[in-house]
Amino acid sequence: MNEQSAPVGTVASHVGGHIHPPPDSFVKKYIFSLDHKVIAVQYFITGGLFFILAGLLAELMRAQLMGPNNHVLSVETYNEAYSVHGSAMVWLVIIPLLTGGFGNLVMPLQIGARDVAFPWLNMLSFWLFPPAGILLFASFLFGAPQAGWTEYPPISLQMPFGTSLWCLAIFLIGVSATITGLNFLVTIVKMRAPGMTYTRMPLFVWATGTTALLSMIATANLSAALAGLFIERTFGVPFYNVARGGAPVLWQHVFWFYSHPAVYIMILPAFGIVSEIIPTFVRRPIFGYKMIAYSSAAIGLLSFMVWAHHMFTSGLAHWEQLLFMALTMAIAIPTGIKIFSWVATLWGGKIRLDTPLLFVLGFLSTFTFGGITGIMLASVPADIHEHGTYFVVAHLHYVLFGGSVFGIFAGLYYWWPKMTGRLLDERLGKIHFWLMFTAFNATFLPMHWIGLLGMPRRVATYDPVYAGTNEFVSISAFVLGFSFLIFLYNALRSARHGEIAGPNPWGARTLEWMIPSPAPYYNFKDIPIVLSGPYEYGAPLPYANIRQDLATVPVH
Amino acid sequence: MILLGVISAALMYGVAVFPVDRYLPEASTVSLPIDWIFKFCAFFSVPILVYVNGLMLYFVVRYRHRPDEPMDAVGSPIHESRLLETVWTVIPALLLIALAVVSYLVIPLYYPTGQAAASAVTMEAIGHKFYFEFRYPGLTQSVMNEMHLPVGVPVTLDITSAEETTDVATGAVIHGFWIPEFRLKQDMIPGMVVPIHFTPREIGTFRIVCSEFCGLGHSHMWGTVVVQSKPDFDRWYAQQVQAGRSAAAGVAPINLAAGNAAAGQALFAAKCTLCHNAAPFAQRKVGPGLANLFHDPAHPRLVTGKPATPDNVVDILEHGAHGDMGVMPNMQANGLTAKDIANLVAYLKTLH
Amino acid sequence: MAKALHVPSDAEYADVSSQRLLGFLFFLISDCVIFGDFIFSYLYLRDVAPVWPPPGIERPYLYLAAVNSMVLFGSGATMHYAMEGIRRDRRRQFVAFILATIVLGSLFLAGQAYEYTHLHDTWAGSTFGASFFTLTGLHGFHVLIGVIYLITVFIQTLRGTYTQQRHFGLTAATLYWHFVDVIWVALFFLFYIY
Ligand code: HEA
Ligand code: HEA
Ligand code: HEC
Ligand code: CUA
Ligand SMILES: [Cu+2]
Repeated sequence: MNEQSAPVGTVASHVGGHIHPPPDSFVKKYIFSLDHKVIAVQYFITGGLFFILAGLLAELMRAQLMGPNNHVLSVETYNEAYSVHGSAMVWLVIIPLLTGGFGNLVMPLQIGARDVAFPWLNMLSFWLFPPAGILLFASFLFGAPQAGWTEYPPISLQMPFGTSLWCLAIFLIGVSATITGLNFLVTIVKMRAPGMTYTRMPLFVWATGTTALLSMIATANLSAALAGLFIERTFGVPFYNVARGGAPVLWQHVFWFYSHPAVYIMILPAFGIVSEIIPTFVRRPIFGYKMIAYSSAAIGLLSFMVWAHHMFTSGLAHWEQLLFMALTMAIAIPTGIKIFSWVATLWGGKIRLDTPLLFVLGFLSTFTFGGITGIMLASVPADIHEHGTYFVVAHLHYVLFGGSVFGIFAGLYYWWPKMTGRLLDERLGKIHFWLMFTAFNATFLPMHWIGLLGMPRRVATYDPVYAGTNEFVSISAFVLGFSFLIFLYNALRSARHGEIAGPNPWGARTLEWMIPSPAPYYNFKDIPIVLSGPYEYGAPLPYANIRQDLATVPVH
Repeated sequence: MILLGVISAALMYGVAVFPVDRYLPEASTVSLPIDWIFKFCAFFSVPILVYVNGLMLYFVVRYRHRPDEPMDAVGSPIHESRLLETVWTVIPALLLIALAVVSYLVIPLYYPTGQAAASAVTMEAIGHKFYFEFRYPGLTQSVMNEMHLPVGVPVTLDITSAEETTDVATGAVIHGFWIPEFRLKQDMIPGMVVPIHFTPREIGTFRIVCSEFCGLGHSHMWGTVVVQSKPDFDRWYAQQVQAGRSAAAGVAPINLAAGNAAAGQALFAAKCTLCHNAAPFAQRKVGPGLANLFHDPAHPRLVTGKPATPDNVVDILEHGAHGDMGVMPNMQANGLTAKDIANLVAYLKTLH
Repeated sequence: MAKALHVPSDAEYADVSSQRLLGFLFFLISDCVIFGDFIFSYLYLRDVAPVWPPPGIERPYLYLAAVNSMVLFGSGATMHYAMEGIRRDRRRQFVAFILATIVLGSLFLAGQAYEYTHLHDTWAGSTFGASFFTLTGLHGFHVLIGVIYLITVFIQTLRGTYTQQRHFGLTAATLYWHFVDVIWVALFFLFYIY
């Protein structure tokens, strides 16, 4: 592969060639659209709906856990609720929103391309997603899965037909993610604008590229594992059932070989979003561009080598425990480099505390906390006590909610104008942030404590000694749910009353802000030429071939 | 910076002296090093958290874009600093290496490599749906849900999971064996026996909690571990040996007429409510609700398919049952005597 | 889509096909992972089993599989020559060798079908059967798809879709065919020899 920068001045044909006329029928424009920006919006809407559903399930769970021996839900329904809650949040919300949503919306624009490499595959990936979601929720009609989002056999082999639907649903979403990964990777390798070398790519592109690689490899493995579970359930093909010579721990290996990389699929794009927002609102070059970029790659690589840290109580051999503990801890180092570089970027800036930055600061605070509880779980002896308890539930919400969801909202407030042409209301945004941030911590912080004290996860009732804390947690969870209504209101309001954004409302310097908002069909009239990195605040814009009248710094 | 240092130091001191034992007794020998590791993590995490959050807030306030500054003002052009980057790579790396080494030293304390400690009593813990079974060396019968241990004596527990059948639909599943006060946990995995090793160091009664989802009864799968002084333990053990002998000598015939409903009620509360409600059939927990057992027109037959007569219920209590809902343990497993059964049936008859 | 409107130039064709080729390569990588997952499962089950193969299970017959392997590897060679044919614009060579490839691929499938019907173990019979039938079945499915794909590109070439300069579809088919061969080497070793 010869990936030297194309000589400046030759707008190579490989970045899009001729321009098709935009589609004219409604169906081609909005439903079976090939346009990456429309597909992104489709992902946002579908993923958003699933977020509401999965969140409402969580609220039901919290209602049940309000007190010990509650009967809001039956034990079965409670088990179904958390299994579908976890599965939906992971596969129908976070992954589609971060890769399908933000990846599609932003990545092609940031590399100066007219679309992704295979628009048709992109459309296909999207259209695998709603059926997957419908299958997953439809499983409630046939006895939804109860064994959690991890579906450990043998118990998952003993559950009714809904669990097979779960397999199919996750299989579909897995195929969709694999295709998207492949598509994005080709796009990033082949379709960057002339002059955009790897070290001139915006950091979000780095993050999306690494994520794409992980999706492509890890998710393919997930599909295989699910196929195994499905055929065992359906045809009795023995892989996991001990009575027939199978091994339940085998599933744990193949599942976590996917699902650990998956947690980085769920956080790397959020890291990317943070890396875009910080320099924009701090008005200075990001500190340690290269270290942030390479640490994404390092995290991606390491993430394939740590899966068994979810299995420290599954009777692993000694050397396996040690190896996986050490590798797991190693991941904290590249992650720490990122965190510290972001904090260092704040130093000496000219900071504008707009809503996107607020969410990013929230992210830094909560994600670091969640990462550190991750380290506590990584130590084998400590994990012996913590595994399978609310401590793990707290950890996972701190990284998934405090990390990924905060990242998603930061990105939504940031790129909303690029998507819709209008700004979201700042005041409502700030209220949303503070309510969500406070309620989030009030909900999930106490879970660490009750977990350490002895409350296991995945239970519908508990020892009355935890009643007080659980009641507090439940009430906070209701407030947390309410905080999203503010965002919903803000989003709907902006359609009519939102301030018109203009091409570059935040004064950012990456390519997506050099074109009108919302971005026109086919993005760039002429493919831009990139002369240097994207975060050089103070220097003239590093692009040739763009419309100078659009590339202005805003005045508010 | 100094302020943050002071806050960190204060919190670190707080972590160091935090009396864990007051909230969750450190009842086994491995509790101590595990709590120590946890404290060690918390100890070095405090300054990381304080500095990340503190500096973030400080910078945001200190470097705010002020209204009197020009709109296009930009910040410092510094791109990187080798020194800083090295520092924040090396320090976490050192801390993590320390943590890994400490963890490495602690693992063999509970996870015996090679031979288990010679002096240890070896016993078995077996997970069932939804109770724990314990097998002691020298006892012919198992002990259900209530493990007794002498204080100060090292124990090796062989942990596994089993069910009576090899049928997929009702076969063995994974349970988790967790004693929070001991800081010990091991998954009970069918087909695998994993030994763990520890010494109880406090007398008392502690919880055993199932920490791995195992089905409908998971939420209720609790047991107890009773740590006793050596003489108390020996007395209990002698009783068990006695009970085993009389069981082997043949079960005394069950005299239903002598059943005492009040005694039955107490027994029911102690042994049966784990799996049964004293409520109509449909309100099942693990097994069906047992009120109306003898008078329910909707369920004239027992799960065994036989009519709901006292004799057939006795049969279930003696030998257990095994059907769609799962496994009903037999009398040895439930720890019942012939007299207990008579009392229970007398009590069940009173329920409507 | 607007097919007829735009005829790509040679340079554009090269760009587009290099993109597609990369995409195809990535597809093969993820496909490889799927096989990898089941191979890992096979090795794991083998590792935890007290005896292997499980009691009462016979290994499938080596010689039949060896002959069948030769057929498949032969088809790899003929595919190579077919591709050479198109690269050098020798139509006759191309036609002869791609037909040979298609025939050999079908023969392999027939051989496998014969083997399947003559084994005592079944898919759901044992852990060996589970891995054996899943993996060889998955591989056979790939061969089947490959044969269909070869027939498609063959017809397309006859119709003039692919030429000496422009033959992305053929390159992809060759890559795929060789990939399927390589997977077979691993499976053959695992199930018949190891
Ligand atoms: C976005 C998702 C996400 C992310 C990013 C992470 C990140 C990490 N996770 Fe987490 N994890 C989950 C999602 C995630 N996790 C989920 C969903 C589960 C539960 C699954 C289930 O069972 O249902 C889980 C469970 C889980 C377990 C298993 C617990 C158990 O079941 O027994 C472990 C154990 O090692 C672990 C460890 C880690 C570690 C070490 C990191 C590290 O990557 C964190 C690194 C970050 C930092 C450490 C903070 C920043 C660093 C610094 C500021 C530098 C200095 C720091 C130090 C010196 C400590 N996680
Ligand atoms: C990104 C992932 C994500 C997110 C965002 C959340 C969000 C929440 N989670 Fe979840 N959770 C998981 C991922 C996530 N969770 C996973 C992976 C598990 C493990 C599952 C397992 O064990 O297998 C888990 C498990 C889990 C448990 C443990 C269950 C158990 O072990 O028994 C609990 C318990 O309290 C919980 C609670 C919550 C709550 C209260 C929220 C709240 O933050 C939710 C708030 C959101 C909403 C309420 C939706 C928005 C609502 C509106 C906008 C209202 C408008 C509505 C209309 C207009 C109709 N979660
Ligand atoms: C570990 C759980 C468990 C415990 C403890 C338990 N049972 Fe059961 N019981 C069951 C299950 C499961 C069934 C249903 C079996 C079936 O499906 O065939 C059952 C069935 C029964 C039945 C038959 C009900 C019917 O309608 O046919 C009776 C009677 C019964 N149990 C009484 C008792 C009594 C009395 C005790 C206490 C000494 C007890 N059980 C303890 C699990 C349990
Ligand atoms: Cu047994 Cu959970
Ligand atoms: Cu993990």
